[in-house]
Amino acid sequence: MHKGNSQRGLKEIGIPILFFVGILIVWEVIIFLLHIPEYLLPRPVQIISEITVNFNSLLGHLGITMLEAVFGYIIANIIGFVVAVIFAHSKMVERGFYPYAIALQTTPIVAMAPLLVLWFGSGLASKIAVTAIICFFPILVNTIKGLKFVDENTIDLFKSYSANKWQIFVKLRLPNSMPYIFSALKISTSLALVGAIVGEFVGASKGIGYLILTSSYHLETAIMFAAIIISAIAGVLFFKVISFIEKKVIFWQKPEEF
Amino acid sequence: MESIIKVENISKNYDKLPVLDNINLSVKEGEFVSIIGPSGCGKTTLLKILGGLIPATSGDIKIRGSPVKVALERREFGFVFQNPILLPWRTALKNTELPLEIFGNNNPQISSKKLLKIVGLEGFENYYPKELSGGMQQRIAIARALTFEPAILLMDEPFGALDEITRNKMNLELLRVWKEEKATISAVIFVTHSIPEAVFLSDKIIILSKRPAKIEKVLEINLPRPRKVEVKYSKKYIGLVKCIREILKED
Repeated sequence: MHKGNSQRGLKEIGIPILFFVGILIVWEVIIFLLHIPEYLLPRPVQIISEITVNFNSLLGHLGITMLEAVFGYIIANIIGFVVAVIFAHSKMVERGFYPYAIALQTTPIVAMAPLLVLWFGSGLASKIAVTAIICFFPILVNTIKGLKFVDENTIDLFKSYSANKWQIFVKLRLPNSMPYIFSALKISTSLALVGAIVGEFVGASKGIGYLILTSSYHLETAIMFAAIIISAIAGVLFFKVISFIEKKVIFWQKPEEF
Repeated sequence: MESIIKVENISKNYDKLPVLDNINLSVKEGEFVSIIGPSGCGKTTLLKILGGLIPATSGDIKIRGSPVKVALERREFGFVFQNPILLPWRTALKNTELPLEIFGNNNPQISSKKLLKIVGLEGFENYYPKELSGGMQQRIAIARALTFEPAILLMDEPFGALDEITRNKMNLELLRVWKEEKATISAVIFVTHSIPEAVFLSDKIIILSKRPAKIEKVLEINLPRPRKVEVKYSKKYIGLVKCIREILKED
């Protein structure tokens, strides 16, 4: 059992790493053969050296971006959850507000970002706001779904105990909605990074978005790649952390693959 | 004996579709009554009306002289449905304790642990539903229905989803549990599709007609108790099964 697990783990990690190394080699060879200039596509070796040389500075920028992303993420998920609970309990509130929630979702976040920077300044607050808006919809929709889609028979069971609304909420609807909630929490991890970086594009003096933008002005493409790669790694880690928590919380269900 | 359930002229329509048509029946204290009828005839609807989960369109039900709603609030009904309906995030024990938690009853007469033992699940208290077989899950549902010592056990095809061997075993178990808990559970209303099951378990069988269901016939089953498997080979048992089969065929 144990051996099987570690073997599978090795395969899970080993095979992607093997492919990664393969891709890097092909990349190097292509640049060499086609004489692609460095400002269009830097060599992997350059990117790696860029990452190692500027590691602390990159980490500093990433720290800022993650701070914005995580803050916005937390705020959006708390507010989204609370609003969903209110929606699920009041048909009238839901009817009144839901169309606007959809409108907020369908408006491209990039279109709103400059406005938010205007309102909240070029500091952290505006990025947190962009992130919060982009993360708001998944948690809202999924929590409503989870609270509402409860098996009829189980409701009958609770009714047969004359359970009150609060008991049905705490003992049935809330745990029932956990898989839906975590599905939203996982989707939002990548959205959170998008929100923070888009916010930084519009106006910032630090962060991964700022770094990407300035390096593109100076045609420092290797730095740009370094920034992209490091933000991708951070996004994967963010997702993995939430997945890990999900497995602990929803222990009764096999988590869906994402 | 006193009747514990008295049903007078119950009818039920879903919108304009009539489901139950003028049902009259009474159940005595200590009686095991089965309701049988063609599928889709409204057996489940009748059971849910008896237990106060849905209202009747017209007619009157009294549980020991009180309206159904009062009896429901007094927690006189223990339901067992076709599916176990366990909460997957709770262990067997925690599922069994669910009604007690809802009632705020911290001092039940019989502990949930003991009930799990009675239904044959000793040692499985900390297992989650997904780790248990269908038959074991249904046993938890039965234990759960017994925790608060309801006066009336309402069972809606509780063994319908089980294979025949498990089903026969569960029938015996049910009779055993019922006997052991007879002090508290005074009547069992048992909806089933299976004629042999109904004859084996019951004191009385209520045969419903096609929808809209009327009472086609009420049969007293005078087989001796306690019932053993051997009853099924007796002439009387076979005769009763045949008789009910004939009645249902006519429909």
